[in-house]
Amino acid sequence: MSEIKKSTRTSFAEAIVEVGNEYKDVVTVAADSASRYGDFVKKFPERCFNVGIAEQTMIGVAAGLALCGKIPVVTSYANFLAFRAIEQVRVDIATAGLDVKMVGTDTGFSSAWLGFTHLALEDVAAVRSIPNIVIIDPADATEAYLATKAMFEYKGPVYMRLRGRKDEPVLFGKDYVFEIGKGNVLREGKDVLIISSGSAVYESLIAWEILRQKGISAAVVNMATIRPLDEALLLEITSSVQSVVTVEHHNVTGGLGSAVAELLAEKRPDVKLLRMGVKDTFGTAGSEEMLKAYFGLDGNAIAERIKSFLKNDYKSEVN
Amino acid sequence: MNQNEEKIKAIRLVAERIRKDSLWMSTRAGTGHLGPALSIADILATLYVGVMKIDPKNPKWPDRDRLILSKGHGCLALYSILSQVGFFDRKYLGDFCTKCDTLLPGHPELKLPGVEANTGSLGHGIAIGMGMALAAKMDGKQYRVFVVTGDGELQEGSNWEAAMAAAHHKLDNLVVIVDRNRLQLGDLTENISKLEPLEEKWKSFGWRVKSINGHDIKELLSTLNDVPFSIGKPSAIIAHTVKGKGLKIAENKVEWHYKVLTKEQYEDLKEELALEELQDE
Repeated sequence: MSEIKKSTRTSFAEAIVEVGNEYKDVVTVAADSASRYGDFVKKFPERCFNVGIAEQTMIGVAAGLALCGKIPVVTSYANFLAFRAIEQVRVDIATAGLDVKMVGTDTGFSSAWLGFTHLALEDVAAVRSIPNIVIIDPADATEAYLATKAMFEYKGPVYMRLRGRKDEPVLFGKDYVFEIGKGNVLREGKDVLIISSGSAVYESLIAWEILRQKGISAAVVNMATIRPLDEALLLEITSSVQSVVTVEHHNVTGGLGSAVAELLAEKRPDVKLLRMGVKDTFGTAGSEEMLKAYFGLDGNAIAERIKSFLKNDYKSEVN
Repeated sequence: MNQNEEKIKAIRLVAERIRKDSLWMSTRAGTGHLGPALSIADILATLYVGVMKIDPKNPKWPDRDRLILSKGHGCLALYSILSQVGFFDRKYLGDFCTKCDTLLPGHPELKLPGVEANTGSLGHGIAIGMGMALAAKMDGKQYRVFVVTGDGELQEGSNWEAAMAAAHHKLDNLVVIVDRNRLQLGDLTENISKLEPLEEKWKSFGWRVKSINGHDIKELLSTLNDVPFSIGKPSAIIAHTVKGKGLKIAENKVEWHYKVLTKEQYEDLKEELALEELQDE
């Protein structure tokens, strides 16, 4: 993997300027979060509105703008967007199917020392409980850039979550293709299928390498679109691979692991499934590296867990 | 009779029709927020007949004035006025809460022509209206956005977030009309969580405020046609009203927030209030 690092937030800001040039109706609404739009604010000041630290108002204002033909983008910390303003997201945006793009930042463990109020580990579950919203969790800056572009080609509500840290490893090159609703097979393998999204993809690739050295052939799918889930791809792979592991920097309840479990329980009941993520508990304060280790969600821990899972060693799976 | 008096007379008739339709729809359905609809009948009649620029045959006309019923539970009155001015045929009023997936549910939805926002959960309308007002400024359009809120509704904090932001953005094309009927679901507003001094609250948030009698068509007409009260400031109108206005047994009665006439009561009042037959032809 490359050693180049770039923040998903930076590439979102770059893409949004290009989107702004292309679509004159794109406007931004900020809840004291205008810095996330980068140069868009300087370039299109007349298209930027800041409502203050008021996430509910941010969403309501976006709805009003959308009802008048604008294409609003809103941003906030993922938790404050997905929880503080969830009712406005549901009533004002989702039921009406309004063309509003919602971007939650600082996901997973990236808020680190800020503690559980800021660690976004349940945002996908909250948004996924509401019909009608596409959910995207890009794995790196390349994908965040492409996903930002793609969400404006799609008409309707989208929730995109970004880790947004300077040290995010770039995983994909210029030839990478992102399409809403399509998973990407990053590694082929026959013993186990690892399905991951967002910042957990990098750790899953590290786990893949460790497993490879131990003679375990793992497939890795980057499921950047959590809804709609790429069911066709998963059904195709699980017709031959019988062990599936989901890995997410999110609670195992309601997120990617749940989405995959729901599909497999109905369509592939014989497949053995392990969901890795935060196990129905709250986050806590620590550096990102510490937290990934604490919750057993760094590359090493993922590899170890998968090995025991494949050996049917359930005792070692309890943590 | 001069032109203004004729207009007032016409609005009064429309408001009367709103009240009769609200009684008719809610009695047929056996459900509905009757008291909160009756208190805003005169406000909506004045807005749609005497104030707002609308084109019901072209409900999405970009230059139209917008009305958001933030107190969505008052929708009986909204449905009546929208049908009266021609957004849809009167025959659909019979669908109010009588058909699954109806266009006229217990809170208004965008799928009905003339409805400008989904409302029902309180405290959403001002922010949505603010977004529409920003879009108007951005596009150099002259339309105004009217938001009708309940008074109890103002206990939701989201209203005050939006009020603060709208004043900051100098949205003089945004008008909030507070249906100050003094009652909420459980009791008098002042017994639950005091709103007063309400005028001062709006003023301190940067709005220009007027308090009026929300049943006096003449006063409603002159006040609503006088917005913005001040260039660069949003306008708030505190319309003092009577919950259940026009239905004597319901007036100022807290239990009539979500209560309707029985069919027997309706039949008994039919002659006195000149109500329509309950059954379809």
